[in-house]
Amino acid sequence: MSRPREESELVERARRGDESAYEELVRAHQGIAFRTAYLVVGNAAEAEEAAQEGFVKAYRALGRFRPGSPFRPWLLQIVANEARNRRRSEGRRAALALRVATDQAPTRRRRIQGRAGFAGMADSQSSSGGAAPSPEGALLAGEEREQLLAAVNALREEERLVIACRYFLELSEEETAAVLDVRVGTVKSRTSRALDHLRESYA
Amino acid sequence: MPELDVALRELGRQVEFPPTPDLAVEIRARLQRVPAAPRRKWGRPLAIALAVLVVAVGAVLAVPPARTAILDWLGLRGVSIVRVDELPPTPPIGRLDLGSRVTLEEAPPWTLVPDEEPDSVWVDDGTVNLLWGTPDDVRLLLTEFRGEPFIEKLIEGGAEVEHVTVNGRAGVWLEQPHVVMFRDPRGRLRDNAARLAGKTLLWMHGDVTLRLEGDLSKAEALRIARSAQ
Repeated sequence: MSRPREESELVERARRGDESAYEELVRAHQGIAFRTAYLVVGNAAEAEEAAQEGFVKAYRALGRFRPGSPFRPWLLQIVANEARNRRRSEGRRAALALRVATDQAPTRRRRIQGRAGFAGMADSQSSSGGAAPSPEGALLAGEEREQLLAAVNALREEERLVIACRYFLELSEEETAAVLDVRVGTVKSRTSRALDHLRESYA
Repeated sequence: MPELDVALRELGRQVEFPPTPDLAVEIRARLQRVPAAPRRKWGRPLAIALAVLVVAVGAVLAVPPARTAILDWLGLRGVSIVRVDELPPTPPIGRLDLGSRVTLEEAPPWTLVPDEEPDSVWVDDGTVNLLWGTPDDVRLLLTEFRGEPFIEKLIEGGAEVEHVTVNGRAGVWLEQPHVVMFRDPRGRLRDNAARLAGKTLLWMHGDVTLRLEGDLSKAEALRIARSAQ
């Protein structure tokens, strides 16, 4: 988690044109910004551009940022907008099918870099030589995992996105609302509908 | 099988995302390359006036059925009103092409916002569209632009054009159907026949031209216009 006090100081410095302060903000949030864009736009190259563009636009719009309010939802909203516009201008639907990180190649560890605390978790499932399996790692068997993910992938896009934002990116309801450009109430109702659908297909 | 939300959260930690690229370096380079954009100044008024005149004639000629007599020029910079005997055929009004959806914060800094905030904001090549309602069911549309604007409204012969004042500046109120022609900031002439083109209030604020369209009374339109800042 970011340290709010320090973050608001960084934002304030960036507002005054301090680019190195903004660079720190970029480093703190680029992981979540990129993954959010990836969920929306559906491929890594576009997600990178959308995230980069979003950060640049956010910098230019800092004059309108309300001091003291949280930076992350505001940023994610701009990045998600950018990603949506890209998807729209490409004229295609995101055909993103999420996959579980597999553990065949050790390099896969890097695939989940930035997810502090979880890097290497997938490896612990089968190839765990010395690493202690995470306590949560035991909850879902490999097959259940695949099944559940298949059920998520099979959801309608708006429900899949709300599940991905809330549970995979672990965004708050407010952040999810900002990313999806809907009200918080809509996030709640959409989430509960999506969970119902998952229970049906996955029970 | 654990509770669904617990299972989903755990699954999320195992979902594969592409590696996050290092954005910071490139972003910093971009911020340094382009210093916080000084806005381009307006060209000289004379040049603009000439451009409007030339374009206006061109626009009328470009509309085939416009057997035109130019009867009336109004004093809004960038806006001219041309009366024609017959309006060119308009395509059925469908979903408006409003450009890219943005947040209010992302809209250009010169954007004027009425006291009731819009439901959505769109930017299209330097034109800002503030929308109340949805793109499929538009209640009100406020279009704003700067740059080298040119809007022309072709009005059928007998249509009333009423002069109004908005915050001390000249404006016009139109209740009859009209077609909007519009020169975008890149100089392309656009056919905006798909706009609402019902009741319209046109006015200026500084060097921004604003057009408010929707099913509303003149008093309501003026109230909204005067609140825009």
